[in-house]
Amino acid sequence: MVSQKSYKFTFVILIVVLLVLFLVNISLGSISISSETIFESFFTETSKLSSQEYIIQNYRLPKAITAILVGSGLGISGLLMQTMFRNPLAGPFVLGITSGASLGVALVIMGASVIGGVFASVLSSQWSLVIAASLGSFIVLTAVLIVSSRVRDTMAILIIGLMFGSITSAIVSVLSYFSSAESLQQYIFWGFGSLGDLQWPEVRIFLLVYIIGIVFTIISIKSLNSLLLGESYAKSMGLNIKKSRLIIILATCLLAGSITAFAGPIAFIGLAIPHMTRQLFNTSNNKILLPAVFLFGAIVMLICDSIAQLPNSDYTLPINAITSLIGAPVVVWLLVKKRRMIF
Amino acid sequence: MKNGIILFFIIAFIACKEDKGIRKPLPPLNKTDNNNIAYAEGFSIEDNGNFSVLEIKNPWPKAEETFKYVLITAEEAAKTTFMRDAYDGIIIVPVENIVVTSTTHIPALELLGVEETLKGFPGTDYVSSEKTRARIDSGLVRELGKNEGLNTEVLLDLNPNVVVAFGVDGKSKSLEIIKKANIPVIYNGDWTEKSPLAKAEWIKFFGALYNKNEKADAIFNSIENNYSEAKQIAAKATNRPTVLSGAMHKDVWYLPNGSSTEAQFLEDANTNYLWHDTTGTGSLALNFEVVFEKAKSASLWLSPSYYKSLEDLKNANAHYTEFEAFKNNAIYSFSNTTGKTGGVLYYELGIARPDLVLKDIIKISHPELLPDYQPFFFKALD
Repeated sequence: MVSQKSYKFTFVILIVVLLVLFLVNISLGSISISSETIFESFFTETSKLSSQEYIIQNYRLPKAITAILVGSGLGISGLLMQTMFRNPLAGPFVLGITSGASLGVALVIMGASVIGGVFASVLSSQWSLVIAASLGSFIVLTAVLIVSSRVRDTMAILIIGLMFGSITSAIVSVLSYFSSAESLQQYIFWGFGSLGDLQWPEVRIFLLVYIIGIVFTIISIKSLNSLLLGESYAKSMGLNIKKSRLIIILATCLLAGSITAFAGPIAFIGLAIPHMTRQLFNTSNNKILLPAVFLFGAIVMLICDSIAQLPNSDYTLPINAITSLIGAPVVVWLLVKKRRMIF
Repeated sequence: MKNGIILFFIIAFIACKEDKGIRKPLPPLNKTDNNNIAYAEGFSIEDNGNFSVLEIKNPWPKAEETFKYVLITAEEAAKTTFMRDAYDGIIIVPVENIVVTSTTHIPALELLGVEETLKGFPGTDYVSSEKTRARIDSGLVRELGKNEGLNTEVLLDLNPNVVVAFGVDGKSKSLEIIKKANIPVIYNGDWTEKSPLAKAEWIKFFGALYNKNEKADAIFNSIENNYSEAKQIAAKATNRPTVLSGAMHKDVWYLPNGSSTEAQFLEDANTNYLWHDTTGTGSLALNFEVVFEKAKSASLWLSPSYYKSLEDLKNANAHYTEFEAFKNNAIYSFSNTTGKTGGVLYYELGIARPDLVLKDIIKISHPELLPDYQPFFFKALD
């Protein structure tokens, strides 16, 4: 067992790495910008920005912040799901939260073109996407929970989650069949995932929802630790299971739902970050794991984004592809090396 | 299985029926050089006196197979036997009932004055032309569903002389069923051509189907003349405005590459398209940073995707407002020129009338050169 002291050391290292990667992420991009310009751009008035300063202030900076929010938020919702379901394969994607959010977004983007008229104009703002995605994920996860309350087997719960995912994707297929080419295109591009599509007003909204999600997460740390030993044990400790479940679900929905709405369905991060963190920290105490997952998720996402931007080339890769390509082999390698899954 | 058996008998019945009345073999094809095609590379028509052979070479990008069709009058056909295996279809001309599958095929039918032969179309709402719209509204043109999944039953029921399709890779299952029912399917590859005039020249393809070769030639010649005249007028301009095109999906900016027909219009209109030196198939997909750095002060911005107003652009992405073209209201799009049911007219008529497209762009970039011309497709966003 690693001592508390060395955790502190690891945390300091992670924080330093995060800060360095944040700066690296801002300084890398399709066009090369000198470090002086980067530094100056933070102090230039908005109205007097040169095009390079504009890129730093209004494109790369919100993108880097989005990467941190997405990586940490997905990691944390993965950790919440894995702890609550006591299943190492749980994550926002597997349990249908992402597909629920996708359904919400599909209804807004493509449903609007099918139903048309007033509905379309009311629902075309960025707010509506967040609300729809969060509602979608909340409904799907609640449905999974209601059904799974009747089964005890955790594998069955996962299968139920997958089935709900299939149902939602079937509805999305029907919607896409009838929707216009433009909205279909819009939905497909949303599906690629993107961190660079957010401007400051949206980042602020995103941050607000994210903070509420984190507050719910912090509230539930204690109950998460009790749940680690099983529901009956948690009950005997005097934990109100129903209430804690609701709070955990709310936290996950707010985090995963808003991330999916703003950045698209980002694969792999939610499932893998908690495992990678556990390999590094070798503990199941959520008081340590939560901040560690936060840092680790943010770091991995910044790395993925820096690669996706293909520095000094004119092109960008879809972030979704990078998270899977880089992340999945890392998890496999970690598990093979350690020969067991810490959970 | 049962359906398969029934279909087999139907096909067998139709196939047997058509083989009646065969007299003498089709004479071998003389290599006469009657091929009157100047620009288009995707098709050729070999006239052999009693019949002609239509060859489609590039129905889709990187297509390896070519398709050959015999075009023959009913009178000649009655005297001739067919080497069926040598051709992909025998089409009796002039065609009396037709099904086309792309809105770009509609103007050709109208220009040739044969729009009343159109019996079915997939996605009739996309059709904007008033003449054909009126026929659709009075139920004379059947809705065939979606192009990717044609309503085969309705199509078989219409039993057209020919189906003019377009293929992305030639693997359409519904088209295979139609072919098996002995309805010839011809792929129209106008969209794979490399120049605006080559695309427009496909009117000669339709001319051949209707025995109206001369009329098709005359129509194309007049379009070609108009195009060259407009190009000469544009060449007189002394300034070459810088041009940006396309828009972002998420943070990737899609814009036409320098060898595309869109870029060729911009070149012929004597403008400086900022990505004119790029080449390739498909469009460029560039990072926002690169486009912003290069095109921030471009004087014109053409075709910003499907956005219909400055407000739409601003709502979709605040970065758009930072471009000079946005600040100076110099964004032009064809998205607002639509038919009664919302189809974009440019997508329908743009291929057939490159002369109008070129004049529009000249009017936008050099208004002094065409003082009395009213743009047909492009309008400034407001």
